[in-house]
Amino acid sequence: MSPNDDFRRELNNVFDDVSGAPSPALSDRVRAAVTQAPEARGPYMIAAVAAVLITALIVGVLFVANPLRRTPGLVGGNPSPTPSASQSPSTQPSPSASPSATPLPQFICSADTLTNPNPTHLPTAYISAVRPASHATEGFDRMVVDFSNGIPDAGVELKPQSGTKFVTDPKGDTVTLKGTNGLDVVIRGADMHTSYSGSKDMVLGYTTLAEVRQVGDFEGTVNLALGINGPPCFRAFYLTGPDRLVIDVQKAS
Amino acid sequence: MSAALMEQRPQVLARAVQGDAESFSRLIEPLLDPAYRLAAVMLADRGAAEDAVQEASIKAWRKIRQLRGDTASLRSWFLSIVANECRMSRRTRWWSVIKLSDMREPETPATETYTDLHRALLKLSPDERLPLVLHFYLDLPLDEVARTLRVSTSAAKSRIYRAAKRLRGDLTMEEVF
Repeated sequence: MSPNDDFRRELNNVFDDVSGAPSPALSDRVRAAVTQAPEARGPYMIAAVAAVLITALIVGVLFVANPLRRTPGLVGGNPSPTPSASQSPSTQPSPSASPSATPLPQFICSADTLTNPNPTHLPTAYISAVRPASHATEGFDRMVVDFSNGIPDAGVELKPQSGTKFVTDPKGDTVTLKGTNGLDVVIRGADMHTSYSGSKDMVLGYTTLAEVRQVGDFEGTVNLALGINGPPCFRAFYLTGPDRLVIDVQKAS
Repeated sequence: MSAALMEQRPQVLARAVQGDAESFSRLIEPLLDPAYRLAAVMLADRGAAEDAVQEASIKAWRKIRQLRGDTASLRSWFLSIVANECRMSRRTRWWSVIKLSDMREPETPATETYTDLHRALLKLSPDERLPLVLHFYLDLPLDEVARTLRVSTSAAKSRIYRAAKRLRGDLTMEEVF
């Protein structure tokens, strides 16, 4: 007999001493317990249902109260809380204002300046996206400028113009955009090279908004030129959550 | 396990998965003895071992879908649930209420009658006893020991050897396997 066999035999004797044989009733006991187990699931089911209800309640409360939803910054009028546009140029309209939302500002056809109603002394606001979208059925096309770190404190000048010739900053070249008229959007206290990686010239072909082009990004001032089919009438406002500038260009009547 | 049951196991398992408690009981019946022996050695308490096997059976019944019809893994799967239940039972025992009916005389003989090996075994932790029971007492092949412990085969081998060396320091690998 090998030492292995000796060890195994001696160890199994010890195991036998420790465990003994199971009681003959164990099998019946287990069978009965298993048969009754579905009833024992009750508390788990109740706990699961309770968890679902509590989750639904919390989600409901958060949806109604929504502590993360900030009041939109009202600049140049009373904007709707949720307009947005697609990531890239798109003919799909972005969500329109809800019926219960505060009315949007009126369209105007003259120069205007927006200021941040809640200045945060942000040195430079980083533009992270420029998102044009067609809302032709609603009577306008939209451009949304996203900021990754907050709305710029300095104002945004909106200067409508006849024709679509713009001068680039700082080079001073003249560029001509698609469309018949233009809107020069001058965003001060911002840059479009830290967080932005998208196109700087988007020829859109929408009914109203023909082209969006960056014509300046120098010393904290970003110039966006809009080529427009028809009169350069617009409305502009800020929204927050995420921070963005919305410019709607009115469709020619 | 009878040859007839072995042949019918896939069908019995399928019925158990569909909620047939009787089929499930039939399926685990041959495993109750090894499960009890495993629990009894891990806990060194026969009454607690039967309780653990009962609780583990109920848990296995509720989790039977996890097996995904793999009858070959049934034994290692069930034994791993039993081992878990033993760990749980040891963790919870310190605060549980001791019923008067449980305050009985120890069933095991006094330690002075123990052999050296017996005493050495009881000095091991339950998790150290587990691979020894699986390998030596229940005679499971190494890969099944590994599945029960939920470790690799080499890790299982190493655990068995380490625990065996704690029982008898001069054991060689060849004497263990």
